[in-house]
Order: sequence, then structure tokens, then C-alpha cells
Amino acid sequence: MTSGCRFENDVLRAIESDSWSDSLREHVATCDECSAAKNAGAWMHSFAAIDDREHILPNPSIVWLKAQLLQQTRTVDRATRPMSMVQSAAYVLVATCWAMFLTAKWNTLAAWAKTLTTSRFVIDPPIASLSMTTVFVVMLLASATAMLALHTILAED
Amino acid sequence: MVAFALDAPFPFARPSRRQPDHPMNEAKFDALYRRTAGKVWSYLYRLTGDASIADDLLQKTFFRVLRSNPTVADDDHMRRYIYKTATNLAFDHFRETKRERAYAAASQRSDVRPETTELRHDMMRVFAELKPQERALLWLAHVEESNHDEIADALGVKSKSVRVLLFRARKRLGELLAKKGLAPEVAR
Repeated sequence: MTSGCRFENDVLRAIESDSWSDSLREHVATCDECSAAKNAGAWMHSFAAIDDREHILPNPSIVWLKAQLLQQTRTVDRATRPMSMVQSAAYVLVATCWAMFLTAKWNTLAAWAKTLTTSRFVIDPPIASLSMTTVFVVMLLASATAMLALHTILAED
Repeated sequence: MVAFALDAPFPFARPSRRQPDHPMNEAKFDALYRRTAGKVWSYLYRLTGDASIADDLLQKTFFRVLRSNPTVADDDHMRRYIYKTATNLAFDHFRETKRERAYAAASQRSDVRPETTELRHDMMRVFAELKPQERALLWLAHVEESNHDEIADALGVKSKSVRVLLFRARKRLGELLAKKGLAPEVAR
């Protein structure tokens, strides 16, 4: 029950039982709060009385099952969050390394790429113009990229 | 000789996560759901004006109840908790979709028996013209017969404000009913 004017509960009870004492009627006539409560209360009771029962509620077993599934999903998400963060960091790291390497060695790589013509391959074998360090870094970064890609694919599976 | 209590907790040990005193199992949930879901659905339906949204919000309400697994002393506390959660979800829904205005349109989609449809439409349309908070206030006060503390708890407002808010909501409903010629006869 509500607790506004001290007669409000009496008014609400009177609406329900439809029995009004003279004193309560007199009070309602003079009290704005109770008058509003009376008008709204009567209408709200008719409004609430409209039958909604033909609506079938979701089955409690299904709600329970869905809740369990959601909980499991949330647990898995929580457990894999650190792994996802490490994976994202690895993407950023590998991309940064590639960018740094290409920026630093662009001229060397471009010059070396120009020597890779078909005729050069057929007629005259190309002269190895890349240092061992460069080749090693390329292989390292390529391996890291491939491992990351494989990890992503396998993790998704 | 100093005696060591082997079962005493290590001073810097992390405290173990406290389990609720009464964890919810499926049977308890089933009983709780059957006891409360009908009324909560009616409340959500009258707030949103759409049966499918009310279904969604009802399920979300119980998901949250299960997730938080509140340790409540009695049914009354649980009821308050459920209504608070349902109200928050309904208000979140309104904020997200800005569909307060769509309420009237939604309330016109009805699948009820023809003899009750017209009356329901009229009443739903009137109710739709109120703000969501006013709808919630009126339903909780008049249908759920909640006291001001319970209403304040459900709506996240101060208990002292409920009296004023409820008065305004009642006045506004009265004005709307008078405007549409639906005001109940005054029993004097």
C-alpha cells in the first residue's frame, strides 16, 4: 500500500471493495491527493483487470537453460580475454616490426627487387645483394606472421 | 614452544569468494518464476505496450536474477529485487530505442479476443500517453500495491519524491481521462 495522505490507503481499499463511508467521501472531496488517487485508482483497477492470461509466458526450463548458456558464454569470454589481448598485442607487434623493417630497408629491397628480372634468372644467375641479417629478419617476420595467422585460424576453429 | 595452528588462514591469503547462502537451483528458480513471472510480464507489457518486448525483458530480468544470485531474506525482498531489475531494463530499453512514441503503435498490434480488443486499445492508448516513469509509478502503486519505499527502490528515486511523483502521475492520468471522456464516475 502507498503512504501519501494518511487516508490514502483507506481510499485505495474503498476503491477495491467499492464501499465508501460518508467521512471518506467528504475527505476525498476536500483532499487533492486522495481525489487524484481515487480517480487514477479506479481506472488502474479496470486497466489491470483486462485479461492478459491468454499470453503464454516463456517456459521456466528454457529460461533456466538460456541463463546457464549465457553464464557459460560469459565464463568462456572472461577466460579467453587475456588470450585475445595477447593476440591483439602480437598483431600490433608484428605489423610494427614489418613497418619498421620495410622503412629501414626499403632502398635495399627495391634495388634487390630490380635485379630479379626473368632474363637475369635465365641467362645470368642473380647476385645475392641482401645481407644475411636482412634475409634472417625477413624469414623471422614471415614465420611470426604465418604462426599468428595459423593461431588465429586454429583458435577460431 | 610456539604452537602453529595449521588450519589458520595465511595472513596475506586472498579471501575465498563467498558463496551465496542459498544458491538458486532449477527447482527453486522454477517455483520463483511461476510465482512472479505472470505479474512481472503484465507490468512490463503495460510499460512497453509490446508483448514480444515484454517477453524479452522478462527473460532478461530473470537472467540477471540468476546471474547475481542475490541472497535475499524472503519473498518480499526478492520481489523488490525483481521489480527493480525489470524497471531498469524497461527504462534502458526506452533509452536505447527511443521508442516511447512507438508505444501507441505497438499497443495497437493486438492478438486478443475481439470483445476485449477495443477496450484494451482505448486503455493502452491512454496509458501510452504517460511517461514511462509515470506508467511504472501508477502500476506499482495501484496494481502491485507497493508502498513508497518499494516504488522508490524499483524506480531508483528517493522515497520522499515518490509522493510528489505519484500525485503528478495521478493528476496527469486524470487529465488524460477527462480529455478523452473516460474519467471514472466519482462515487460520492
